Amino acid sequence: MMRSWKMLSVGLILVLVFGVLAVADDQVQITFWHAMASRHQPHLQKLVDDFMAENPNITVELIYQGGYGDLQQKINAAVVAGNVPTIAQVYENWVTPIVDILYPIGPSMTDEEKADIIDGLVPSNTYNGILYTVPFNKSIMVFYYRKDLVPTPPTNWEEYLQMAKDLTKDTNDDGTIDLFGTGFRPAANPEQFLNFLEEAGGSILNDDWTEVTINDEAGLEAMEYAASLAPYSLITSSYMSDAFQAGQVCMFIDTSAGYYYNNKAAETAGFEMGVARIPMGPVNQKSMIQGTNLAVFDMNQTQKQKDAAVKLARFLIRAENTVYWAEKGGYQPVTKSAYVTEEWENWIAEHEYQQAMSEQMLDGFAQILHPNYGDMRDIIATMFEEVMLGEATPKQALDNAAEEIEALLE
Amino acid sequence: MPPQWLPKDPQWVNYIKAWNVAPFGRYFFNSFFMAITTTIGEVITSILAAYAFAKMTFFGKNFLFAILLGTLMIPGQMLLIPNYVTITRLGWFDHYEALIIPWLASVFGIFLLRQFFRSIPDELQDAARMDGCSRLRFLWQIVVPLSKPAIMTVALLKFLGSWNAFLWVLIMTNSDKMRTVPVGLTLFSSEVGTAYEQLMAASVLAIIPVLILFFFTQKQFIQGVARTGIK
Repeated sequence: MMRSWKMLSVGLILVLVFGVLAVADDQVQITFWHAMASRHQPHLQKLVDDFMAENPNITVELIYQGGYGDLQQKINAAVVAGNVPTIAQVYENWVTPIVDILYPIGPSMTDEEKADIIDGLVPSNTYNGILYTVPFNKSIMVFYYRKDLVPTPPTNWEEYLQMAKDLTKDTNDDGTIDLFGTGFRPAANPEQFLNFLEEAGGSILNDDWTEVTINDEAGLEAMEYAASLAPYSLITSSYMSDAFQAGQVCMFIDTSAGYYYNNKAAETAGFEMGVARIPMGPVNQKSMIQGTNLAVFDMNQTQKQKDAAVKLARFLIRAENTVYWAEKGGYQPVTKSAYVTEEWENWIAEHEYQQAMSEQMLDGFAQILHPNYGDMRDIIATMFEEVMLGEATPKQALDNAAEEIEALLE
Repeated sequence: MPPQWLPKDPQWVNYIKAWNVAPFGRYFFNSFFMAITTTIGEVITSILAAYAFAKMTFFGKNFLFAILLGTLMIPGQMLLIPNYVTITRLGWFDHYEALIIPWLASVFGIFLLRQFFRSIPDELQDAARMDGCSRLRFLWQIVVPLSKPAIMTVALLKFLGSWNAFLWVLIMTNSDKMRTVPVGLTLFSSEVGTAYEQLMAASVLAIIPVLILFFFTQKQFIQGVARTGIK
């Protein structure tokens, strides 16, 4: 009798131990490095909490790594040291040099899921023909304007120039301009020029990255147009919302993610703000998509972790989640199906400004994937600023920039 | 239009909002812990090293000192990745060791104190040595009290440097429980805009300890600046 009790209890203990081990073995922990500041963190946390509720065996640790620049530095360091996260926010050009140590997300997705990603976002997430990353917090450059001074926003380049000219005023007659028709932030936001370049049909490089094309005819047209706006433009290095709040600019091009701040500036200053598509250029009306994608790391991760991270990435681009993220974070949904959900249609109906953003998003272009894009962007920023401040002619500036970019191609 | 100095309707609630954005209590503790330990550490190592360079003769002294100064020429940014790898291999990543140990000595502190110690006449040392005073005792009882302003300067600059350190902390830590106040402050800004009201509230909280420290050490600090010409 004693003996069988003993046997039974040993058996029970064994069952318990293995049972616990089996459950524990099923648990997987992943780390998610991001650069989302305080305004976005609660919403990101909510999405991740929903994901963990759906997948009780997965624990996601969100780790804030400062701004985008800090995050990039940290990823670079982590790649060298080998302690990378499981999943992280990345810009297109960060991925190009480290694509070998990433775990492609695309092959684990259904064809339906892949086809659902907005067309303009597919090339910028595809490396060597494989969908490696998926879009995450995407925003689009749009046109912001003061409704009291700009009853209808300009629809093309000529109108934009004319209105900028008409609106620019020396309101107190002291010989300096107090109210500028428009404004630019060349050093911090060279994307404002890249929009013009795209709209004129130009590009930084040719398709196979062998030649610099920024100073060709289209490039010159874009830069000359920017220069023609310069006399009616406030050139600043701080946020456009600061100048907007101070009543110094009437219209400007900025990312849709800045809506919250621009609108707050307008409210504080006491006028209404409108949002429209950017004015049509000679060739098209495309504007630049900004924001990061999600990458899963292959390096030093278990298969379970990689699977869990892929699951998280797929979860985050699911229609209801990309819509939630867009509504709360001021980003744009990244899948086509998201735009036809009832939730999003209601949102657009209630938020007039969102219509222009959505249209512009579906007609956007992405950053090039060249590994040296970061340096090219700096060169373009410098050139753009020189032209806008009148320190160089468009031709000079473009030729110099082309030469510097050329050196980055080797 | 003159600026309005006192707000009509102060928004005290921003302090609470800002405080709740992140575990700032922990951040403050970490900032204090890091700043105090690195300051004490640097003062001790700098005094010892500066004494050796200023008052002792040994083989290769000038050469060694030149190498030491040479390290000042290497930009910190360039060393960030190699340092990260070192810290990770030592197993210090995301631990206090990573925040403190690399900062326990600094060339700048050694250099500053060495210049100051050199102005103390050698005759003092000779007399003390002749009376049987050991080098260490001479250092603590004669040199250190005479160099108080310079030492205070080193300590204050270090404290401020540690208190404000951002990139190092961000790169060498991952978890909230290891982060410091400056990392917390970045939470309020993003590429597209800044929550100024909360950033300002949090910044006020962040400078209070430094202000208090400055009030208590003002005299020595100003003396130190005046005597050593460092700001």
